[in-house]
Amino acid sequence: MSDKFVVIGERIHVISPEIKEALATRNAAPIIARGKAQLEAGADYLDVNIGPAERDGADIMRWIVPELQKALDGAPLVLDTVNRDALRAGLEVYDASKGRAIVNSADAGERLPNIDLAAEFGAIAIGLLIDKGVPRNNDERNEYLQVILEHSMEAGMDPSEDVWFDPLVLVVKGMQEKQEEFLEFLRILKEMGLKSTCGLSNASNGMPAHVRPVVDSVLCGMSIECGLTSAILNPLEKSLMDTIKTSEVILNRTLYADSYLDI
Amino acid sequence: MSFTKSPQVFSSKVTEIEIGTGSEAVRLGGENTLPLYSFDADTKNPPLVGIDFSDKGPDTDIPGVAAFFAGADTLGAVAKRASEAEGASFVCFSLNSADPNGDDEAVDVSVAKCKEVADAVTKPLVIQGSGNAEKDAELLGAVAEALSGKNVLLMSAVEDNYKGIAVGAVLAYGQKIAAESAVDINLAKQLNVMIGQQGVSSDSYVMHVGNAAAGYGFEYVASAMERIRGAGLSQNDDMLQAPILTPLAADAWSVKESIAPEEDFPEWGPAEERGINMEVSTAMACLASGSNAVILKHPESVKTVAALVGELV
Repeated sequence: MSDKFVVIGERIHVISPEIKEALATRNAAPIIARGKAQLEAGADYLDVNIGPAERDGADIMRWIVPELQKALDGAPLVLDTVNRDALRAGLEVYDASKGRAIVNSADAGERLPNIDLAAEFGAIAIGLLIDKGVPRNNDERNEYLQVILEHSMEAGMDPSEDVWFDPLVLVVKGMQEKQEEFLEFLRILKEMGLKSTCGLSNASNGMPAHVRPVVDSVLCGMSIECGLTSAILNPLEKSLMDTIKTSEVILNRTLYADSYLDI
Repeated sequence: MSFTKSPQVFSSKVTEIEIGTGSEAVRLGGENTLPLYSFDADTKNPPLVGIDFSDKGPDTDIPGVAAFFAGADTLGAVAKRASEAEGASFVCFSLNSADPNGDDEAVDVSVAKCKEVADAVTKPLVIQGSGNAEKDAELLGAVAEALSGKNVLLMSAVEDNYKGIAVGAVLAYGQKIAAESAVDINLAKQLNVMIGQQGVSSDSYVMHVGNAAAGYGFEYVASAMERIRGAGLSQNDDMLQAPILTPLAADAWSVKESIAPEEDFPEWGPAEERGINMEVSTAMACLASGSNAVILKHPESVKTVAALVGELV
C-alpha cells in the first residue's frame, strides 16, 4: 500500500510582493497567515522560498523557520533557496517533531553538496534532475538520477526514503512534446521504488488563468497514476486538491465516502 | 538459522475512548496492531465483553439465563445481577419496549427504567434504543440528559438520526455514542465524517458496523471489519479509527442452530449449549476481525469469551 500523497504548499514564495516585503521587513504575520491557510486547505508541508537572498539568507531562515513552526504547531517545512548558508541556518533551528525538514533542492551539478547538507541534519533532500540546463530527454534525466543516487548513498542516505526526485515539469505551452516523457520518467522512478516530487504549476505557465487549474489538475492526476508521490502546488486551488483526493480514491489508497472531498 | 521476529506495528492507532466513571470505567481501543496480535505490541486495552439484558426482563426461555437471574425481580436487581456476571466489563440495557412498532412505551417511562438501572450498577453502561431511528433520536437524547455525568454509551446513531443524537447526547451531555451502519465500509466512513462535522470529537464515538451470526453471511461482516481496521491502521484514515463495538446476542440466538428444539434434532444435542457455542463462535470471530468489544446475552458465553481473551491477549 502506497503512502499518502504529500502536498507541499507553494504560496510562501519571494516572488509574491507581499511575501517579499514581509521577509525584508521581518514581518512574520502575513507569512504565517499564508502558511495557516495552506495547512487548512490540506497542505502537509509548507515550502518556504526566500529566493537567493545572497546578503542575509541565513538571517532570514534563522528568523522565519522558528516563527512559522511556533505559530503553526510545528508544521513541517521545505527550505527553499539556492543559498547554502541559508539552508544550513534553517536546518540548525528546525524542529523535526512533526516531520523531517526537506532541503529544496540538490541537483546533479553545483548543488550536489546540498545532499550532504541534508544528510548532516537528517533531512530529506529534493533531488532535481538537472545539471546546468533542463534535461533534454530521459537519458539525461537518468544520468542525473545516477549522479544523485550515488552521491546520496555515499552520504549515508537511504535514497528510497531520504531523497525525493524531481524530474522537472516542463511548460506545456511550447514543450508539449516533452510531457509524455516526463510521465514515463515518473514510472521509472516508481519502478525503482523511489519517491518523487515536482513543481506542478510549471506546466501551465503562460496559459490563461481559467485554463491553468484544468491543466495542472489533469497533469497531477496522470502523474499520481504514474507514481508521483508528492508535489509542490497551490493547495488553495480546490480543483487540484479534489483531483488528488479523487486519485487516491480511484487508486484505492483512501476509502471512499460520499463526503470524501470535504475531508 | 534463527528466527527473527518482525513485529507488525502501525504508526496509526485505534482511537481510545472511555465509558463509565470511577474505578470501573473501561477504555476501548488504543492498539496499533491487528486484532488480538498482542505478540506484535502491547494491545493497550484488551477487547471487552458486555452482558445484555432487555427492559422486558431477562430471557427466561433459556434455562441458564433464567437461572442466573433467578430471584432478581426488579429491573435494578436484574441490572445488579448482570453486572456481577463473571467476565462482564460493562452492562448493556436494551429498551425493547420503546419500539414504536411494538409496545411503544413512552419516553419518560424508558428514561425512568434507565435511571433505575444506572443507580443499581457501578460498571459502565451501554443503552440500546428501540432500533427505530425516529424514536431513538428523541429517546436517546432524553436518556443522555437523565444519565448526565455517567459517561454512558448510547446505541445507535444512524444515517437518519445522527444529527439529533450527536447534538443531544454528545455535545449537550458529554455522553458517548455508537455510529451504526449496516456492513458497508463506505457508509461507515461517511457516517463518521458526518458525525465529526457535527462537532463530535473522535474520542466520543465508537462504530457499530453491523453483524451476523457465524455462518449467516458473517464473511461480509468479517471483511468489513478487516477493511475498516486496515484503512485506519495502514492507511491512517482517521475517519475509520474509532473502536468497534458489536452487539451480537440477537443474531446469535435467533438462528436455527441456537433455537431448534432438541426433540427435532436429537443429533445436535441440547439447544442451550448450541446457542452458547454460536454466541461464543460469533463473538470470537468478531474480535478476531476487529471488534474492540462484544455484547452477549448468556452468562456462560460472557465468561467463556472473557477467559479466551484473557488467554490470548
